[in-house]
Amino acid sequence: MKNKQYNSIAIFVVLLFGAILFYIGTDGFTAYTVETARVNKLMEENRVFPEVTLEDSKERVYSFSEFEGKYVMLTFIYTACSDVCPQLEFNLAEVYKQIPPKYIGKDIVFLSISFDPKNDDPATLEKYRYYFDSDGETWRLARISDQQQLDGLLMDFGVTVIPDENGNFQHNSAFYLVDPNGILIEVMDYEEIELAADKVNSILDSKVGE
Amino acid sequence: MKYGLVLYIFLMLPPVANLAESVMAIHMHMQMTLFVVVGVLMAPLYQKIFARFFEKWNSNGVPGILLFMVILGYWLLPRTMDEALSIPAVELFKFISLPFLAGVPLRDSWGKLSNVGKNTLYVLLSVIFGGMAWLYIASPVQLCNNYLIIEQKTLGWGFVFFAVSIMIYFISTLIIDPSDYE
Repeated sequence: MKNKQYNSIAIFVVLLFGAILFYIGTDGFTAYTVETARVNKLMEENRVFPEVTLEDSKERVYSFSEFEGKYVMLTFIYTACSDVCPQLEFNLAEVYKQIPPKYIGKDIVFLSISFDPKNDDPATLEKYRYYFDSDGETWRLARISDQQQLDGLLMDFGVTVIPDENGNFQHNSAFYLVDPNGILIEVMDYEEIELAADKVNSILDSKVGE
Repeated sequence: MKYGLVLYIFLMLPPVANLAESVMAIHMHMQMTLFVVVGVLMAPLYQKIFARFFEKWNSNGVPGILLFMVILGYWLLPRTMDEALSIPAVELFKFISLPFLAGVPLRDSWGKLSNVGKNTLYVLLSVIFGGMAWLYIASPVQLCNNYLIIEQKTLGWGFVFFAVSIMIYFISTLIIDPSDYE
């Protein structure tokens, strides 16, 4: 009889331990993958977009502060990518179309940054932008030639890029929204076009609108 | 006990651990499984030293099996596998929890469990592994940032193998009576 009691206590302790372990391990049952945890954390931390030098598809070279005072909608891509990136860019194009024209260029710019600067020279990027109807102006494609700057940015924004043997990269994808002060404020699921567009529009409406 | 300790030290050698963790399927299906095996091999020693403790707190085997399931479940999360690679404390927790909080209680509990308990565990494990197989094979997104999607699918098929093996063994225990062959 006594043993039964001890067993019950032990079961209770084990279950309590399990609950605590899972609670801590998943940030209170909110993040079961590192990716979700990463996104949750990124949005909390207000990361600042680092000073990097961009070279865009029109061979213009400028630093990120070029976009100061505007929201910047970001993606990270490489043009040789055959699976996720075209989908990511296609979806970004859909979001772009859903932003009222009065905001485009003036209050928000779109920017796709290549993390494969060796292959994605301005000519390649210029060709790539046609596939997605990017005008190269209010939606720019650019590379960061300085590997150190690129790595720093990827690290700050939590973009994991793993090169494989065939010149391809495995990478995580999302829409990133940087505010006019260069602070990362939103990381959005790139598969939820409507959700992303609504979010961006509501931010623009409240911050910029009349 | 000796073999358990040798295996334990071998698995923790940095080059061995790094190699095992570089492949997703080996990380989960071989390294983690072997850590549990380490605990199973070392269990008799602890059962001898802490005989009173085990007898008192784990007399029917249920608390031990629950602890085993908790630790197993924790290490099935995609997130923990990533964090074992990037956070040293989590890696250390893996080295300690799998042998001592999963392997040791598993061996201590197994003999104490009733047949119903054992059968429940077989079915539960194959269902859980089947679920994990489905998750890793069917997931269109990369679940672990450190591993490629193709490795994720390989891992999923490894789970299929585990689930089917457990199921076959379970069925065989139901229809085969070992005493017929003695």
